Amino acid sequence: MAAPTIGLLVNPAAGRDVRRLTGGATVSDTYGKRRAAECVLAGVGLADDPVDVVVAPDGGEIGQRTVAEADRSNVRLLDVAVGGTSADTHRAAAAFRERVDAVVVFGGDGTTRDLAIEIGDVPLLAVSTGTNNVVPTPVDGTVAGAAAAFLATGAVDADDATYRHTMIEARVDDGRSIRGLATVGVVDQSFVGTRAVLDPDDFLGGGVSRAARGEVGLSGVAGALTRVDPDDGRGVALELDADAERSVTAITVPGVVERVGVAGWSHLDPGDERVFAVEEAVVSVDGERELEVQNAEIGVRPVPDGPRLVDFDAVFEAAPLAADAHAVERR
Amino acid sequence: MSSISIEDTDGRREILRRMLTIREFDSTAGDLFADGEIPGFVHLYIGEEAVAVGACAALDEEDYITSTHRGHGHCIAKGLDPNRMMAELFGRRDGYCNGKGGSMHIADVEANMLGANGIVGAGPPLATGAALTSQFKGEDRIALAFLGDGAVAQGQVHEAINLAATWDLPAVFLVENNHFGEGTPADEQHNIENLSETAESYNIPGFTVDGMDVTAVNEAVAEARERARNGEGPTLIEADTYRYRGHFEGDPEPYRDEEDVKHWQERDPIDTFAERLIDRGDLTEAELEEMRSEIAAEIEAAVEYARDADLPDPSEAYDDMFGEPVPEIEEFASRLRADGAGGDSR
Amino acid sequence: MSTQPETASSDRTETLTVREAIRAALREEMEQDEDVFVMGEDVGKFGGVLDVTDGLFEQFGGERVRDTPISEAGFVGAGVGAAATGSRPVVEVMFSDFLGVSGEQIMNQMAKMRYMFGGKIEMPVTIRTTEGGGMGAASQHSGTPHTWFAHFPGLKAVTPGTPAAAKGLLKSAIRSNDPVFFFENKMMYEQSGEVPTDPGYTLPIGEASVEREGEDVTVVATQRLVGESLDVAEDLAGETSVEVIDVRSLYPLDTDTLADSIRKTGRMVVADESPISYGVHAEIVTRMVENEFFSLDAPLQRVGVPDTHIPFSSPLEDEVVPDGDDVRDAISQVV
Repeated sequence: MAAPTIGLLVNPAAGRDVRRLTGGATVSDTYGKRRAAECVLAGVGLADDPVDVVVAPDGGEIGQRTVAEADRSNVRLLDVAVGGTSADTHRAAAAFRERVDAVVVFGGDGTTRDLAIEIGDVPLLAVSTGTNNVVPTPVDGTVAGAAAAFLATGAVDADDATYRHTMIEARVDDGRSIRGLATVGVVDQSFVGTRAVLDPDDFLGGGVSRAARGEVGLSGVAGALTRVDPDDGRGVALELDADAERSVTAITVPGVVERVGVAGWSHLDPGDERVFAVEEAVVSVDGERELEVQNAEIGVRPVPDGPRLVDFDAVFEAAPLAADAHAVERR
Repeated sequence: MSSISIEDTDGRREILRRMLTIREFDSTAGDLFADGEIPGFVHLYIGEEAVAVGACAALDEEDYITSTHRGHGHCIAKGLDPNRMMAELFGRRDGYCNGKGGSMHIADVEANMLGANGIVGAGPPLATGAALTSQFKGEDRIALAFLGDGAVAQGQVHEAINLAATWDLPAVFLVENNHFGEGTPADEQHNIENLSETAESYNIPGFTVDGMDVTAVNEAVAEARERARNGEGPTLIEADTYRYRGHFEGDPEPYRDEEDVKHWQERDPIDTFAERLIDRGDLTEAELEEMRSEIAAEIEAAVEYARDADLPDPSEAYDDMFGEPVPEIEEFASRLRADGAGGDSR
Repeated sequence: MSTQPETASSDRTETLTVREAIRAALREEMEQDEDVFVMGEDVGKFGGVLDVTDGLFEQFGGERVRDTPISEAGFVGAGVGAAATGSRPVVEVMFSDFLGVSGEQIMNQMAKMRYMFGGKIEMPVTIRTTEGGGMGAASQHSGTPHTWFAHFPGLKAVTPGTPAAAKGLLKSAIRSNDPVFFFENKMMYEQSGEVPTDPGYTLPIGEASVEREGEDVTVVATQRLVGESLDVAEDLAGETSVEVIDVRSLYPLDTDTLADSIRKTGRMVVADESPISYGVHAEIVTRMVENEFFSLDAPLQRVGVPDTHIPFSSPLEDEVVPDGDDVRDAISQVV
C-alpha cells in the first residue's frame, strides 16, 4: 500500500491576465506562488502520518523549482509533458486521478475547472490565486497543505468535509458543448478575442451553478435575486439587458459594484434548460470567452455530478487533536 | 481611435494581411541576404507577427512607436511602405534613411515610427521621451516601445520605465518575449518566468498575453493605450511569442532544438488567425489564397523597386550629420574628394 | 532657428556672474519658446545643486523645470526622445563625471539618429553639465571629459570662458536643432563680467573670441583658464605681449581665428583643463601644424591635467589642476 499522497498543481498564468488593467483584480506573481507551494509542503507535517507529495510540472517551472528546492524524498515531480497551456492542467489531473488522495490547486475558477473535468472523485482543495474567483478559497498554503494531509491520511473522512459542486453546461445546437464550474455566459460579441470578459455589459445572459450576494460576476448577479448553494444540484438562468426595467446591484468584476439590468431569471432544476437564440455571440465559461457561435441556439443547464470540493472549515472542525495533546494537558 | 478595428470583418482581414506581409517581406529578405544581395546584419521577425500587428492595430496613426533590431515587423505593422523598406535594406537612396540606416535603423518620423534600433534596450528611453513630449504639450498621443526579453535586463530599460511610471507618462512598454536573448535562452538571463512581473516594482500594471494570438495582443494594447491617454501612466505588457529564425540570418542556432520550433509553429499566429477568420466566414479559402498571392506580388515588386533604385552618391556620406553643418566635415570631405579617395569606383 | 549673430537692438550690458548669465539664458529662452523645458536632478525646487537654476521652478512650474530621479540614462534618453518629437529639452547632468551613466543614449541615439535616419529628424537637445577640479570634490566629481564629446561625431561641444560667452552660447545651444553639450567649469560660477541684456543676443557656435590682443605669443584657452590667462597677460604686459583667445566652441572649432593669431605671434600655448594626451590640445596643435606650419616659431605648448584623475587632498589637487602659473611657465618656454 502506497503512502498517503497529495497532488499539488500551480497555474503559473493565473492572476496575470489583462484584467489586472481593466478591473481591480489583484496581481499574483511567480515568487508568491512558489512560496505558497513551499508552504503546502510544510503544511502536510500537521498530520501525524507521513504524506508524499507529487507536484505537477508547469510552464512557469514553479512546480519544478519547488521540487528541486525541497530536496526531500517524499516530494516528487509528476511525470507528464508540459506545453505551457491549459492542456497541462488536464494532463496533470488525469495523472493525479490514478495516484493521489487529494489535490491542492493554486489558480482561479478557470484552473479549478480545468482540473475538475478530469479529476473524478479525488477531493479538490482549491486555493485562490486567480481573478474572478468564485470557487477557490483564499487560504494560506500551509493551511491548505495541512487540510490535504488530514484528508489523505484518513484523519478526516472526506465525506465529512467535501461537497459535490454543481457544474453548468452550455450546449450549442451545432453539437459543441462546454462546461463551467460556476458560470456560463452568452456574450454579445462576435469574436472571442482574448479570453477574459472585460465588460460585464456585454453579457446577454447565461447560467450559474451557484448564487450568492458576495460572489463576483454572474453568480453575484444571480445572488442578488436568489440563493443557490454550489451543492444544491440546480442552477439559475439569467437574461440580462442594460435597458431592462429591473436592475440589481452586484459585484461584476473585482473593484466594480454596479447596477445590472435583469430582463428575466429562473431557477434551473436538474433537467431544466434555458435556451438562448443568437445571431452572433461568444460563449464564456467562468469569465473566459471560449466559443464563437453564429445563428445558433445555446442551451444552458445544470450538471449535478461535478467535482468533489473540500470545505476547509469542515476539515478543521473534524480534524483530530494532536497525538500528544493529552500528555501536554496533564503536565 | 485605433488604426484598425479587430471588431469588424475588414479590420480582421487587414490584420491578417499585415501579418502575411511581414512574413513574406522577411522570408524574402532572408533569401536575399543568403543570396548576398542584402549586406550587413538582418534580424527576421518571422513567428512574432501577431505582436507587432496586434499592437499597432490598437494604436492611432499619431501614436509613436520605438522598435528594435528586429524591426521589419513593427515597420509594416505601423504602415510603412515595403518598397522603401526594401530599398533601405538594399542601401538605396530611396530607402527610408537614404541608405544610411539599413535593416537595423529603418525609421519614418512622419509615420511616428522613431526607428528600429541596433542597441538592445535603447528604445524605451526614447519612448519615454516621446511620451514626455505628448504630456508636456498636452497632446492625446501615446508612445509604445517594443522591446525584447533580452532588453528587460538592461539598466536603461529600468530607468525608462521608472521615469514613465513616476511621471504618469502616456507610454506602453511591450516586451516581446521570444524566449532567446541573442543566443542564450531567456530563462538563463532572468530569474523570473513572467517578465511582466517587473511591473510590480514600478507600481504599474503588468501582465502577460499570448503573443501568438493577435487578438490577445490587440486587446491588451488597446486597454493600455486607453489607460495611458487617461493620464493613468504606463503599462507593461509581455507578449509570449517565438522567433522561428536565428537571432540574425546565418546564426547556426546551437542553442535550441527543432522540436521547440515545431511546438511553437503548431500555434502559428498567422495560420491560427486565418483559420479563425475562415471558420467565422470572414474570409474564404480562396480569398486567403488570393491575399497570399497579392502579397507575394507586392513584395516581389518591392524587391524589383529596390534593385532598380539608385545607390546614393558617395558624396552623400557627408550629408545629414547636423542641421547646421560644421566646417570640419566640409573640409575633410573636400580634401578626400580632391585626392580622388572615396571616388566613383562603385 | 539660427545661431548666426543677431544684430543687437541695444548695446546695453549688465554685470553678471557666470551662474547668473546661464540662468538668464535659460529664463529668456523659456520665456520666448514654450517648447523649451529644463530637467535634471534637483534642478527644480532645490534650484540646482550649484544654484544655477534657482528661481526657474517658481517662474515656470514643475512641468517646465522638472526634477528627475537619479537616473541619467533614463532622463538623458528621455531628452533624446523628447527632442526627436518636437520638444526642446535642456537636460542638466549634475557633474560631467556622470555622463558615462547615460553613455549609450548619447553615443548611439542622440549623436546618430539624424544621420542614421538620412537627416529626417532634428535633435534639438542641450546637455548642460559641470566640469573641473578645484573644490576638493575628488575624482568622481571633478573631471573634465569634454574631449570625448567634442570628438564624438554628431555632437557639438561648447566651453564658455566668460559670462557673456556663457549666456550667448547657451542661448544658441538651446535654439540649435543639433545636440549641443554645454560644459560649465564649476570654479567659474562666481566670475563676473559684462553681459548684453538684449534678449536677442546670442553667440554663434563655432567662433572663437580674441579676448586680448598681443604680438608675442597666443594663449588659446578654455573655461576658467581664459580668465587666468588674461591675468597672466596683464602681469606680463610691458615684458611679453600675450594674445588670449577664448576658444568657446570645441566642436566645431574656429580654426581661422586661431590660425590668424599664430600667423601673427608664431607661438602658441594651448590651455585647457582636460587631460593632456589625445585631447583638445592635440586637436588645436594639429590644426595649427596643418594650416600654419610655416608660421611656427617655437614648439607648441600644452597646459592641462597631466593624465591623472583629480585627487581630493588640496596639495595633490593643486598639483595637477592647471592654473595661471602653468600658463606663465609654458609661455616662458617659448618666448
